Amino acid sequence: METEKNGNITQVHQNNSTKAKGSVDSYGFEKPDGYESYEEMMTEYLAVLTRRSAKWSKLMKGKVKVENNLKVKRYVRKGVPNEHRAQIWMAASGAQAQMEKNPGYYQSLLGMDQQRDPKLEETVRTDMHRTFPDNVHFRNSSETCLQNVLYNVLLAYGCHNPSVGYCQGMNFIAGYLIIITKNEEKSFWLMDALIGRILPDYYTPAMLGLKTDQEVLGELVRVKVPAVWQAMAQHDVMWTLVVSRWFICLYIDVLPVETVLRIWDCLFYEGSKILFRVALTLIRHHQAELLQATSMPELCERFKLITQGAFTNDCHTFMQEIFKEPGSLSMGTVTKLRETCRGRILAEEVSVSP
Amino acid sequence: MSRKKNLKGKGSSKSSIASPNKSSNNGKSGNGIGSVAPSNGVVYPSRPSVSSSGEFYDMAFKVMLVGDSGVGKTCLLVRFKDRAFLAGSFISTVGIDFRNKVLTIDMLKVKLQIWDTAGQERFRSVTHAYYRDAHALLLLYDVTNKASFDNIKAWLTEIHDYAQQDVVIMLLGNKADATHDRVVKREEGESLAKAFGVPFMETSAKSGLNVELAFTAVAKELKHRSIKEPDDPKFQLQDYVNKEMKTAGCCSS
Repeated sequence: METEKNGNITQVHQNNSTKAKGSVDSYGFEKPDGYESYEEMMTEYLAVLTRRSAKWSKLMKGKVKVENNLKVKRYVRKGVPNEHRAQIWMAASGAQAQMEKNPGYYQSLLGMDQQRDPKLEETVRTDMHRTFPDNVHFRNSSETCLQNVLYNVLLAYGCHNPSVGYCQGMNFIAGYLIIITKNEEKSFWLMDALIGRILPDYYTPAMLGLKTDQEVLGELVRVKVPAVWQAMAQHDVMWTLVVSRWFICLYIDVLPVETVLRIWDCLFYEGSKILFRVALTLIRHHQAELLQATSMPELCERFKLITQGAFTNDCHTFMQEIFKEPGSLSMGTVTKLRETCRGRILAEEVSVSP
Repeated sequence: MSRKKNLKGKGSSKSSIASPNKSSNNGKSGNGIGSVAPSNGVVYPSRPSVSSSGEFYDMAFKVMLVGDSGVGKTCLLVRFKDRAFLAGSFISTVGIDFRNKVLTIDMLKVKLQIWDTAGQERFRSVTHAYYRDAHALLLLYDVTNKASFDNIKAWLTEIHDYAQQDVVIMLLGNKADATHDRVVKREEGESLAKAFGVPFMETSAKSGLNVELAFTAVAKELKHRSIKEPDDPKFQLQDYVNKEMKTAGCCSS
């Protein structure tokens, strides 16, 4: 991997514009089936992007920090143009501040050969060829293969936060960060912001935060889409079965790339509450389809289908929907539900352990 | 919410996977069986059902794939389901997922609902909630990865703790095609399996070696268990496997 002094990965763009053209999208992913309708949407979306881009350039002129006010929040919800994305994510999440406060820290993590945990290295290595094989930049055969960069970011993170180490799913998250920032060190600090501050403890060995948020979603569905909650109970489907990937992968490989990035804009700026808004929107918008299921397998199948199609492809409209469809959702509600569900899970785990 | 989690307990009420026939489903947890369900929890063979994909089947079973991360669980499943192996096209499994396949066993349509699980240790707290409903477990290790073989004992303990007592277990040494990278001999797999009293074979999702057989043998065993005809000789899973299985390499089969 070619890495400049400042940590920027140089060849990504080149690759994008030359041989990658045609069969892959602008991020290097193979175009999925139904890409034509996606492209149609993108043609219209491009006009939106151009408009937003001009506005963002004006807003960010001469600034490094992203202010915390209603105007910026509105701007973020309407989407961060790709050229500003790395900067906005870094600033909004506090990753930029951490990186500036700790110069050389990332490199030092990768330098500590002796203290490295061989098990961590092995676990990370196992997933290298299993991260985005459908992306030209992550293929072994690619001359600009980003697998080394991915390996470094994950290994550094595991050393930085040994209580998490490496959890499957983090490979996809780091992969997206690398694609967007094109910078190893920035990707590392964004991982730190996400896992250390923005998300609850999804990735620790006990995965308590993940289990909690799955139950929290269940509680929210019980109130906001009671019929679906009923169906889940009737067919005896645990939430973890249908939504664990939504949370662990932060919608990567669940929703289309462009939609995931728009969700992440809000995730970095507003926090983890956004994950519930997305889930509730998917479920509420498709409740008629979900309720047609007559068995557990069918319900699971339908949960997969509702993430596909025009509704989720059209990221701009989808992002407007997530702030309308589920109705009000305050951080206070989420915090309270998290406390209740966490307590319940801990109590159950004590009584259930073999 | 977490309805199943607090129902843990071994050997008692074995629940079956959902059947599309919902007429007599009183909403009781775990029993999606519409027709008369024998105590072993299979769909009664005299009433064919239709799966959600529209395929008819006489009985249905739940099979789980377990084993360390990277041993090839998803590849094995895809090879069996779609008869395909696309090198370098798999992504690490996060969480849990399942696929159905209907097999014909002795003129009966047997539907296997095959659950694929994430192998990483921390996901087990999420996945072991599903063990108790499983009729069979395919436990995989990778013949090119010693650690995955050494962990088999820990996996068997985990299975013992969470699965039904009479669950069908089969040990599979996968990636048997990788002659050059092999570090676990077939004999080692055999003797481990013998020590724990479980049937064993080597498989290759890449070449297809024994993949069909692994699932068919399990389906046969489950079918025989569910309909015991008085004159039927008892089905011997290990004998059947020994008779049918092929060994990796050229001349030993």
